[in-house]
Amino acid sequence: MGAVLELRGLSRRYGDIVALDDLSLKVPSGQVTGFLGPNGAGKTTTMRAIFGLTDLDGGSVHWNGKPVDQKTRRRFGYMPEERGLYPGMHVGEQIEYFGRLHGMSSHDAAKSTGQWLERLEIANRWNDKVEVLSHGNQQRVQLAAALVHQPELIILDEPLSGLDPVGIDAIGKVLVDQAHAGCCVIFSSHQLDQVEELCEQVIIVDHGHLVVTGTVDELATSGPRRLVVRVEGDRDGAWARSLSGVTVSEKRGSEIRLVLDDDTDSDLVLTAAMAAGKVTEFSFGRRRLSEVFRESLA
Amino acid sequence: MREVIIIGVLAVVAIIRVSMRMRKRRQQADQAAMVAGEEAGSADQATMSPASTGPVATTTSSHRAANFGARFGDVGIIAMREITERVRGRIFRVGTVIILLAVGLAIIIPNLNHRSGGSGVTTQEVGIVGSLSPEFQKVVVEAGTADKDDVHFETESSLNQAKHNLRDNSLAFAIVNGDALLLNEPASDSSSPADPTLVQNVAEYFGLLRSYHSAGLTPAQIRSVTNAQSIPVNLLSQGQKKKVNATSVVGMIMLFVLLTQYCTWILIGVMQEKSSRVVEVLLAAVRPIQLLGGKVLGIGLVALSQAVVVVGFALLVAKGVGSDILKGSEPTALLAELVWFVLGYAFYCWVYAAAGSMAERQDQVQTLAFPLSIPILIGYIFSITVVSSGNASLLFKVLAYLPPTAPFAMSTLVAINQVAWWQFLASVLITLAATAGVAVFAARIYSRAVLRTGGRVHLKQLRNS
Repeated sequence: MGAVLELRGLSRRYGDIVALDDLSLKVPSGQVTGFLGPNGAGKTTTMRAIFGLTDLDGGSVHWNGKPVDQKTRRRFGYMPEERGLYPGMHVGEQIEYFGRLHGMSSHDAAKSTGQWLERLEIANRWNDKVEVLSHGNQQRVQLAAALVHQPELIILDEPLSGLDPVGIDAIGKVLVDQAHAGCCVIFSSHQLDQVEELCEQVIIVDHGHLVVTGTVDELATSGPRRLVVRVEGDRDGAWARSLSGVTVSEKRGSEIRLVLDDDTDSDLVLTAAMAAGKVTEFSFGRRRLSEVFRESLA
Repeated sequence: MREVIIIGVLAVVAIIRVSMRMRKRRQQADQAAMVAGEEAGSADQATMSPASTGPVATTTSSHRAANFGARFGDVGIIAMREITERVRGRIFRVGTVIILLAVGLAIIIPNLNHRSGGSGVTTQEVGIVGSLSPEFQKVVVEAGTADKDDVHFETESSLNQAKHNLRDNSLAFAIVNGDALLLNEPASDSSSPADPTLVQNVAEYFGLLRSYHSAGLTPAQIRSVTNAQSIPVNLLSQGQKKKVNATSVVGMIMLFVLLTQYCTWILIGVMQEKSSRVVEVLLAAVRPIQLLGGKVLGIGLVALSQAVVVVGFALLVAKGVGSDILKGSEPTALLAELVWFVLGYAFYCWVYAAAGSMAERQDQVQTLAFPLSIPILIGYIFSITVVSSGNASLLFKVLAYLPPTAPFAMSTLVAINQVAWWQFLASVLITLAATAGVAVFAARIYSRAVLRTGGRVHLKQLRNS
């Protein structure tokens, strides 16, 4: 088994606000882990604590069974939520610089920088200042800066925010490849569809403590039965709300997702749907991550 | 001399142009290397892992700098980035040129002193209205030679003609009938072509000669009298007053400008790293004290280099124009100012860095910078006053031992020659000890404040955190 990141009883208060409340969890290497939670749940504080960027009131961070120190952290890569780059510095030199600060030789840092810029399709921007790049390209530079030294653990705070689908695919593929190469990849995001697509494991926190953790498959197949129903012309799903033993989980356009109690007969649901209009879809479905998220925090 | 100035300005502009062109070429070469690298690596791109293979893009100069910095560990790497970025910046280049021009002009202009010829010799066109005996003409020529003036006589047809020539500055002055001098304007005015020393000497000599003649002295007796030399004047102690020391005034201004400029760079640099959140990425890899130390060291080396260039340039220009700043105790004063610039920077850089870590926006920087600049301003204003008067009060001498004001006050005491070597050394040691204390305190503030976001940080918050 590869290295494991372990958080043991992390606690942090800012005055009356509890940011971390005895948070403990384990994250194995070799997979992409989504770190989820509502705003203010303690995700960023947790990430900063791993890098020693915030003082802890209690608890400790371990990597491979040993407490994390400054030397260990040099083998980690970090991509903060807000841009952490020098706006006026050239792209190539900047990534090299971060590589050097993580212990690389000048030659190795330059070599790795060239490779990452090419991999992220911004090799032609080597001599451009970061401030002239688009948001998406700045995000790529930030990712290259986090990966240039081949870290064992990569932590990314909202790496997909503000990206177009092409940018999300490019960065997502890099993260998956890194995980498959044996790296421990953890990232936070509010784009749950992307998390579901990229991650093998998910951790959900709220109010500074762990709420749910498990693989995406485990979470998707757990819980009560779900029906996906599409009724032509139905825009509000009013027909389903009156059914007993049935809860409307999500509604997207004419598609409605229903959670059935154990003793609810799905045939009754189909009958009600047909009475409401022409049924174009009626099937049992997996639990979406967005549903897991909402139901966990309910 | 004007030609020298023009050539100097043109040379500076040419250097800037050439360096910008070389920089552009380097960038183009880097781009070309990248493209070549991409082409070479494209064949195996499909299977390439970033860790294993791929194009190598290098910038030779930056690698040399990086390797140099690496010898000093992470602090050296951080310092080299600061040096590279600062020196590359337009503010530094333009600022250096402006400072050099200002220093050059400050040295050259006082030496121009109405001179129009080369090699330090001034041509003085002297008009003669009426008659002037050869004996008097000889006196004027000899007075000119003594003042490094090459005297040319022009016989004027009339007084009006002489006035006309004086007004269009083709005459320095005119001698009217051997018993009066006529000038268009006071010789001391900068626009006057007349050498004021020559005018004054000629007036005095003519007066004496007329008196000697009136007294009935023979030409031999007159020569004997006029060749008389003063007896030596010996002093038991130095006088309390000294004339205005222009070198020290300029040095003091430069000390103030450079100290303020570089400390402000630190303040803004720390604030920008904090506001751009890049500090989070940096501190994920290095300790706060390393980051702070690298920044202070890097900017400090840039500052010291610029100061050395300015002083070196000042000495070169001074030698070229035969300025007084190479005479007497003035080189010592310059050296003392350089030493105190280093000590002043070492003391203030930590304070400004700590202040920068408490700010997140430009307006907060200004609020924080003002109180920090007060002791600098006090030291500067006091010192300018004392340098001008040549008199140091007891209060001023006390300021010379207080680290916040010592850079200015102690430099001034050296300039007016009112300090012993052991007093100078004592002040240096006090400042070094205070700097160590301030550095420890500032590093603590920096560590606690630089990662706090959401508005300006106050000391009270840090104490409670």
